[in-house]
Parts: sequence; structure tokens; C-alpha cells
Amino acid sequence: MICLIALIVFGILAIFSASHRPLFKEALDCVGRRLTFRPCESKLDERLKSKITGVLLKRNKYAARFVYKRFEIISWIFLILMIGSIFFSAQAGYYYARYGNCNGPDDDGFCIFDPLGTAHEPGCEIDNPDYNPEDVTLPVVYDDAVSFGDENAKVTVIEAGCFECDYTRQAVPVVKKILEVYGDQIRFVYMDFPIKSHESATKLAEAAHCAHEQDKFWDYYYVLFENQEKTSNEELIQHAEDLSLNIEQFTFCLESEKYKSVIDRDFNNGVKAGIYGTPTFFVNEHVLVGPKDFNEFKVLIEQELNQ
Amino acid sequence: MNVEKLRKDFPVLNKDLIYLDSACMTLRPRQVIDKIIEYYTEYPACGERSYHKLSRRTAEEFENARILIKKFINCKKDGEVVFTKNATEAINLVANSFEFSKMAITDREHNSNLLPWHKFKHFIVKSNEDETFDMNAFQDTIKKVDLISFVFTSNLDGYTLPVKEIIKVAHENDVVVMLDGAQAVPHKKIDVSKLDVDLMAFSGHKMLGPSGTGCLYGKRHILDKMKTFIIGGDTVNNTTYDKFELKEAPYKFEAGLQNYAGVIGLGAAVKYLTPIIGDIESHEEKLWKYMRDNLDVEMVGVDQASGIFSFNIPKMTSHEIAQMLDSSANIAIRSGMHCVHSWFNSRKLSGSARASFYLYNTMDEAKRFVEEVKKIIELR
Ligand SMILES: Cc1ncc(COP(=O)(O)O)c(C=O)c1O
Repeated sequence: MICLIALIVFGILAIFSASHRPLFKEALDCVGRRLTFRPCESKLDERLKSKITGVLLKRNKYAARFVYKRFEIISWIFLILMIGSIFFSAQAGYYYARYGNCNGPDDDGFCIFDPLGTAHEPGCEIDNPDYNPEDVTLPVVYDDAVSFGDENAKVTVIEAGCFECDYTRQAVPVVKKILEVYGDQIRFVYMDFPIKSHESATKLAEAAHCAHEQDKFWDYYYVLFENQEKTSNEELIQHAEDLSLNIEQFTFCLESEKYKSVIDRDFNNGVKAGIYGTPTFFVNEHVLVGPKDFNEFKVLIEQELNQ
Repeated sequence: MNVEKLRKDFPVLNKDLIYLDSACMTLRPRQVIDKIIEYYTEYPACGERSYHKLSRRTAEEFENARILIKKFINCKKDGEVVFTKNATEAINLVANSFEFSKMAITDREHNSNLLPWHKFKHFIVKSNEDETFDMNAFQDTIKKVDLISFVFTSNLDGYTLPVKEIIKVAHENDVVVMLDGAQAVPHKKIDVSKLDVDLMAFSGHKMLGPSGTGCLYGKRHILDKMKTFIIGGDTVNNTTYDKFELKEAPYKFEAGLQNYAGVIGLGAAVKYLTPIIGDIESHEEKLWKYMRDNLDVEMVGVDQASGIFSFNIPKMTSHEIAQMLDSSANIAIRSGMHCVHSWFNSRKLSGSARASFYLYNTMDEAKRFVEEVKKIIELR
């Protein structure tokens, strides 16, 4: 069965190197013959076996002996592994095209097509959660929610985020792109889910609400994530100033903790819905936990829009 | 014969290589390579046809090679050495231009001394049980034929036929004797006059000569009687539109411009071999004996010291052995049926692993070979 491995390996090499083409043809001929239970005429199998054994013999005679004696079994194992890996690569390719994620829907794991792996690291989590994505349900959206777009749009995208969470920050470009591409077709709701282990998370959320009061939510949102390390009141006020907000109003809003209760309510509301970390996104009923690739949103949003 | 000193003449031996495939083709010493380069750089012209200096030099060197070979095999008369492109062509030349009615070969002939005779009525002299030459079977066959063409030394196991006796018996029966000397001429002093052999084919590339060179030795009166095989330029003195006047032997057989570089290089090879030819056989037999004493393998053919160690390891194919030796220790041997398919097929053998020696092989190499083969035996 080494011929079949040779066929695949030489087949790939033959694409790039002319000198491997005759070997590919030989392997093809061999496989054809083996499939019809005739011996391989060019003795390619025998040659490969003795070549591999010979090379091993130079280094370690026990290893050589092991391989020589069990060559057929070893070739079978390699063949199965190889077919398996080809299958999984193909599947991953399909998933990536379909869901923007190598591992299929709702799965976080390393994806070769997304080498930075940003899309699939787990989000920031609240203490000791027993939750998992399957248990997450759509949270209640209150009338005072930070919401954009037509309330009756066919598709509502909800982001439950935390301004101090690095993973929420990683999702910013995707959020931006969603708004760019689908902003006029969907409703986008930002829901606060300040992770308690992040000391300033609630305060940052309050600041964002204060900016929203002056219709500068997104500007403030981007500035907060760009300057995630700046968390003091002065710095937050400075941002407002940079964005030409009414400073008096903003400062009062921030210092009076005007939105704290709303934010706490939203957080508890999120916990009730099973949210356990940020960012968590909802595309209508579909849940996406962690920063995901734009493709994944695209697929779901289009699907929902077309229903 | 100082092997270590001789080895320095072979450029390829600088590398980490143990070359044990000289029965197929030998390595070439610097002297031969230089001679070929000399031809191409100093007088790269045709021999004979022209009157200029270059051409005269080519013709001179070419004929000089013929003289060197003549002395090397000790033929008495001029015009008894014909250049061919290999031993195979020499045998085909005889098969196609010597007139006879029935002939005989042995059962261990190289395809080159088997196929040319297929179209003629031919008998096969079978070997003894132990694969040696069966003199009795031969005595019976010789009465039925007027030509025999026997292998002198076999390339499958290095066995040398009792040619002196064979020739004597043949001549008593007025049978012409041709020998396939491809594996004999390179390894020991052959005196064609003493042997009284009538025709003998051999290759240049198995005796340090360039590839594409070979010879036919023939007694002058036989060559004179032989018709031509390939004709054309340089084989004739004069032609009209329907007649031609042939040159005499050997020129009538050497059609077209010749392999000047090759033949001149072969001359250099023969010059190199002449002083040492008497020492080669015993040197090779020493290596053979060392291997035989130290390896527990199945010997193929006649189990007698020679220049060829032909063996098998049970439950392994010869190709596996050869490939493993090549990849594990860079030892070059030959495997398979060595162009003697008929012999292997009739013995139901799929081939043999064949280590063949020459003047440049050393006892150290034999030891390395034994070590490596032992490791392969242990694989099973
Ligand atoms: C015994 C014998 N006869 C004939 C030949 C053919 O020689 P060439 O290759 O010069 O035609 C060989 C070469 O392998 C040989 O070993």
C-alpha cells in the first residue's frame, strides 16, 4: 500500500517538479495493478521498502528491522492517517468557506486558515461559569437599550461586550465591518456585560452611555478600545473632549453614575440569559461566543435576511 | 599490483563509494579519460579519409589502439582485431556473416550470445548438476554442429569454462569456436594464439575502456571468409552503381566513421592493463574467498572462487538487497537476472545479488560489504 502513499506524495510533488512525474506514473501504474490483485510491475513498492530500510539501517539496525518486518502494516497505518488528514483538511476548508471557521459552527479551536487564531480564543469569562454556548439564550432587550437601525428590521445583531476585555477589543474590526456592510439592513444592539474581574469595566460602560446621550456612542466606543489602558475619570473626560462632547454634561453624567443601575440590570439580564463571557453575539437566535470571523456573521446575517 | 596506488587513478573512488558492479561496467582511470580529452582537444578529426595532419594523427592513434589490443591478447597476424560498439555487436556480426549450418551454445549464455542465434538451428549444452560444464554432454553435441559460441567466463557467477579442452575437442571435430570473452579478457591474461580460439568477442567498457567500445578477434582466414554485416563508407575501396570492391578484414567490417575517441581511449585502457593483467584474477579471488568464508548466504551458480560473488538471502529479493546496500552504505551491486534470464528461469530463481570485483577493490571494501550484508540478513 506504500504505492498509494507514493501516488499521493509524488502526485503533489509532480505538480511542481518534472523529475517526479515518472515516479508518479509508476505509482499510478502500481496502484492500478494492486487494485486488480496483480503484483506491481516496476517493483516500486519493493524499492521504496528497501530504500527506507536501507536509510534506517545506516542509523539504527533495530529500527530498520522493525520497519522491514512490519512494512505493510506501517504503510497501511500511514495511508489511513494520510487519508484522514486529507479528509479533515478538506472538511476544514469547507467549514471555513461556509462558516468562516475551520472547526464547524460554534466551535473554537485552532484554525490553520486563520493563523492568528484571534477568531477562536475564548472570550473574557465571568467567575466560574458552568455555562456553555448551547445554554445561551436571547436576552431581553429593553426599550432603553443602546440600539441602532430599524427596530423592525428582519435581523437584530446583539453584542454583549465589556470595554475592558481584550477579546471584545479584538472583535471591533468585525463590528465595524458589520455596520458598514449591513448597517442599513439590520438593527444593532450593544448590551453591557462588564466582567467583574475587570475593575473599571462598569465605569467605562457608563462613560459610553454618557457619550450615547450626546449621540456619539460609536465614536466613543472606538476611542475606548483604542485606549483600553486609559481608565481614569480624567482620561475618560479627555476622550469626550477630544470628540467635542459637551464636557459639563458628560462629566456630570459620569460622576453621578447615572447609568450604573441600567448597566447592572443589563449584566444580570445577560447572566440570566446564560451569557458567560464577552464578546457574545447574537444574530437573531444564533449565538456566537468569542471574537469571530466576519464570514461567520455574513453567512448568518444573509441567511436570516433571506428568510 | 599495488591496489592503493592504482585506486588513486580513479577519480570516482574519491567519493564514499564501494563499487562492486564491474561485471556490468568498470570505472575508468584518469589515463583513459585524459586520452579521450586529448583526442577531442588535439586531433578531433576522422581517420584515413583526409590528408591533413589532424586526420593522420587520428588514424595513427586509432591503429595504435588496434596494435595495443593485438599485443594484449597476443594475436599473431595483422587485421585480426575488429572494432565494434560492444561485445553484443561483435557476436551479431559473426551470427550474420559467418556461414554455418548448425551451432551450439551453453545453457548459461548472456542474452547477447543467445538471441543472435535464435533464428538458427542451435543446440544447448546443459550444465552438470553443480552447474559446472558438462564435458560429456558437450562431446555428444559437438558431432552435430559446425560452430559453437560459448561464454568464456559467465557473468552470472564468474565461472570459467574449461575452454582449452573445449577448443581441443571442437577442433578435433572441425568445429569453429567462438568465445564470448566479455568477462574473461578484462580479468586475466588471454593468449588467443595459445588458446587457438577462432573467434572471440569482448567489450571495452568492462576493461576500463570508454562506453560504446568492443572488439571481435577472429583468425585471419575466418575473417577473410566472412561476409559483411553492416556496409557503407570506409568498408570499400571502390564502387560503381551496382558493384563494389570490399576492403579486406578488419576494415570491411568497420562501416562508417568510427568511434575514434572510444577506440583511442580503449587503447589507453589496454596500455594501463597490460603490466598488471596477470595479477587481477588472484586478487579478485582473495576477495571472493573472504566473503564466502564470512557470510552465510545461498550461493548462486558454481560455488568457486572468481571475480563474481553471486548470492541470495532467503525470503528477500535480490533487488531489496541491492537497494538496501545502496542506501545504507553506498555499496553498488547488481541484482536481478543479469541478462541471463534463460538460466534463472529454468532454475526457477528470480535472480541473484551480484557483487563483482576488479583491480581497484580492496579487502577493506570486502569487509565493509560483509558487515553490511550481515546487517541485512539480521533484518529478517
Ligand atoms: C558474458 C557477457 N556477454 C556479453 C555481454 C554484453 O556485452 P556488451 O554490453 O559489451 O555488448 C556481457 C555484458 O554484460 C556479458 O557479461
